[in-house]
Amino acid sequence: MGASSWGVAPSWLLGLALYGASVIGVVALVSVLCHWLGGKKPSLEKLRAYECGIVPTGSARLAYPVPFYLVAILFLLFDVEAIYVLCWAVVAKELGWAGWVLMVVFLTLLMISLAYAWRKGALDFRAAKGW
Amino acid sequence: MDLPLRAVDIIVNWARQRSLWPMFFGLSCCFVEEAAAFTSRYDIARFGAEVLRGSPRQADLLIVSGTVFKKIAPVVLRLYEQMAEPKWVISMGSCSNSGGMYDVYSVVQGVDQILPVDLYIPGCPPRPEAVLQALVKLQKKIAQERPARRILGLEGGSQGTERGPLVDGTTKTRDPRGTGLETTPVRGTSATPPRFRENRYHMIWTPRAPCLQMEGGPPHYLKKLEELLNGAAHLEVPTVDMPCVWVQGERILDALNFLKRESIPKFLRLEDLTVVDESARRSRRPDHRFTVVYHLLAFDPPTRMRVKVALAGDPPKVPSVTSIWPSANWYEREAFDMFGVIFEGHPNLRRLLMPPWWKGHPLRKDEPGRATEMPPYTEEDAKRAQPLDASEIIPRKTDSQETLILNLGPHHLGTHGLMRFVLELHGEEIVDVGMDIGYHHRGVEKIGERQTWHQFIPYTDRVDYLSGAANNLSYLCAVEKLAGVEVPPRAQFIRVMLTEMFRISNHLVWFATFAHDVGAMTPNFYTFRERERLLDIVEFITGARLHPSWFRIGGVAQDLPDGWKEAVMGFARDFPSKLVEYEAMITSNPIFKARTKGIGCLDAQKALEWGVSGPNLRACGVEWDLRKAFPYSGYEEFQFDVPTGRDGDCYSRYLVRVEEMRQSVRIIEQAAQRMPDGPWLPEEYRYIVPPKEESLRHIETLIHHFINVTQGPRIPEGEVYFATECPRGEQGYYLVSEGLGYPYRLRIRAPGFANVQVIPDLARGATISDLLAIIGSIDYILPDIDR
Repeated sequence: MGASSWGVAPSWLLGLALYGASVIGVVALVSVLCHWLGGKKPSLEKLRAYECGIVPTGSARLAYPVPFYLVAILFLLFDVEAIYVLCWAVVAKELGWAGWVLMVVFLTLLMISLAYAWRKGALDFRAAKGW
Repeated sequence: MDLPLRAVDIIVNWARQRSLWPMFFGLSCCFVEEAAAFTSRYDIARFGAEVLRGSPRQADLLIVSGTVFKKIAPVVLRLYEQMAEPKWVISMGSCSNSGGMYDVYSVVQGVDQILPVDLYIPGCPPRPEAVLQALVKLQKKIAQERPARRILGLEGGSQGTERGPLVDGTTKTRDPRGTGLETTPVRGTSATPPRFRENRYHMIWTPRAPCLQMEGGPPHYLKKLEELLNGAAHLEVPTVDMPCVWVQGERILDALNFLKRESIPKFLRLEDLTVVDESARRSRRPDHRFTVVYHLLAFDPPTRMRVKVALAGDPPKVPSVTSIWPSANWYEREAFDMFGVIFEGHPNLRRLLMPPWWKGHPLRKDEPGRATEMPPYTEEDAKRAQPLDASEIIPRKTDSQETLILNLGPHHLGTHGLMRFVLELHGEEIVDVGMDIGYHHRGVEKIGERQTWHQFIPYTDRVDYLSGAANNLSYLCAVEKLAGVEVPPRAQFIRVMLTEMFRISNHLVWFATFAHDVGAMTPNFYTFRERERLLDIVEFITGARLHPSWFRIGGVAQDLPDGWKEAVMGFARDFPSKLVEYEAMITSNPIFKARTKGIGCLDAQKALEWGVSGPNLRACGVEWDLRKAFPYSGYEEFQFDVPTGRDGDCYSRYLVRVEEMRQSVRIIEQAAQRMPDGPWLPEEYRYIVPPKEESLRHIETLIHHFINVTQGPRIPEGEVYFATECPRGEQGYYLVSEGLGYPYRLRIRAPGFANVQVIPDLARGATISDLLAIIGSIDYILPDIDR
């Protein structure tokens, strides 16, 4: 490529642009055609929620308990902490023993909190009863 | 303008023809054949219609397969209306086409009365090939359509279904006699079988029913019962099959409490509870209108007995026995629904099978039996008569802000038929389960009162449509017991062989669906392969696949064809190795184990008390099998084991059924090897339909043939209960005969009815995915629950 490449558009860039344009074009064409040609006959029954053929009871907008949310949040926390550990591993030699000690303290805290969450039942899907 | 439009037509039609998305609406037997159409042998995907859709949003072809009931019709119509446009409808099978053999109060006489139909597939049930043919025919119809104008928003053109539903009297007729026969009377009026003038049928002599011999007088527990009730109980003699006690209504709780808790043996199970309407008796009409009949079962030693209560008064009332057997809940609700008998003290006495808007009690003798006697069921009816709202099925237990009410079924892959579960959910966890049944109520008990003893045989096949000939056996054993017919050994062996084939065939479908319920798709394609092979043999012997209707009173319809033995032995040789293949896929599969082990645990005591039977009972560790406890049809001559489980969970039920298939192969092998020679029908032609070639040679035989085919054999007066070990559990027939060609009352004790009553107890506290595993492992079938 080199320094001269910004002067004239290189052929590969042109190809990419053409490709992108055709992708967008085809998708747009299909969407418009579908929207325009697709038959629409809305009726009360057709717009009703499908619930095995029965008229639903009550609203679906309720305070829905999400036990998996806790599990997901915990996973995220430990995931982020793994990043710190990896970063430290790259520069472990430069940081020396001081870094090591800090890491051990950090990981110990992590383990204690994991044990706490575990004991509280945060990892147990079914124990997270709200009533 | 026309030419370019024509080009658009061709392109659009080409695309539509080859990408049909069928939605199943599996109502009954036909759906099994429809489902077989997408397994490996038939492979519907070759025709551009991929795996059946479960939701109307993704489908443009509705295949209504099976009986359309008045209770389910609003759901059928709703799903049709929820489908994308343009849409097409195929009606599969006689029931969906016209009501078929179910001209009965609960059945819509043709789905075309509520929605437009493009194509009808005849047959009862049609073969899977017929589904493929229908698909090809529908593709041809689509090729004739002119969708371009519609698509472009112009006038004219055509696409999808254009005409509306048919109207009785103008565009269709519901007359059961057919054109040109309007002057002949319809056979079987609502109340009683017809009486023809100057008919000498009633003068035919028949012997008395065999009589139960009680050596040394009535058993000890009956004497104690009579003492205890002090005049409020008396023994009925003679009886055919088991001791029977009449008890006064107000003392029934004392009597049943004694029999369940104190007598020796203890009658732990309420086998069946039903009612007989006495008002149409021809001979010896009793003073009371209704009789409540309780059948009880003791396990050790195996003993059965019958308790009866006479009910007079309007409305008739009797104390509820739900305090003694919780399983009486549904039995009493059914009796209330069908006869209007009030059970005092019942926790929730409302209709069970009939829709909430129904007027009257259909099994009363003065209620209409045929749908064609009633006004036609129309689209307006289907729009108006909605199923009960979920909140009426389970009242919420907890604060309504926290829980969600969800309907699972009647149209759902996981419910294995038209069953409606109403779930109260806290997140994914089930707080409470309500069940609503009756979407598959075919009124066979009413039909039984107007069909002759022989004519009823085809109806029995369809009571548990996956067990075919096994159903024939329960009914015929009862009839033969009442008539004292001796079945020749060859016929008994043939019956056992076919019954066991259907046990395997049923368990193969169960294996596939259960594995599918917990996420494994593959076993479908393996088990249906073997099932097809088995059905080929059944077809080779009987001429039919699902519903052979091949057993007859006293024996079977024909002798075995040449070459049967090679086919049967070949299967028996190969099948065990196939079972090893299935087990390699599933038995130690960690995902399968995680989904089934420790899920839905049922303890043995509870299973006994709730009347749970079959593999579900054996999975709790109870070694109880009617083939061993009350041997019938020569089962005592076969060597086989009764597999039992340990934990009563879904996994145990799985293991028991797999082992049962192995034992069934053993029985089939023994039956084939030791098949006796000789006749396959009894020598005496009093009750049977003699072979045609015989009846062409002797006048006596011809007379028997004529009488027994046209009016039905006169089965002796009396009543009998007989149960056999069907693939799903204990299926019993209770027959009351007045000595006519028709039963006076026919009652079916279905295994599923008792088995599913425990599901809420198993499911509370579990998650939705556990519930589906539980449903799959219980292995019920709807025509047998709702009958």
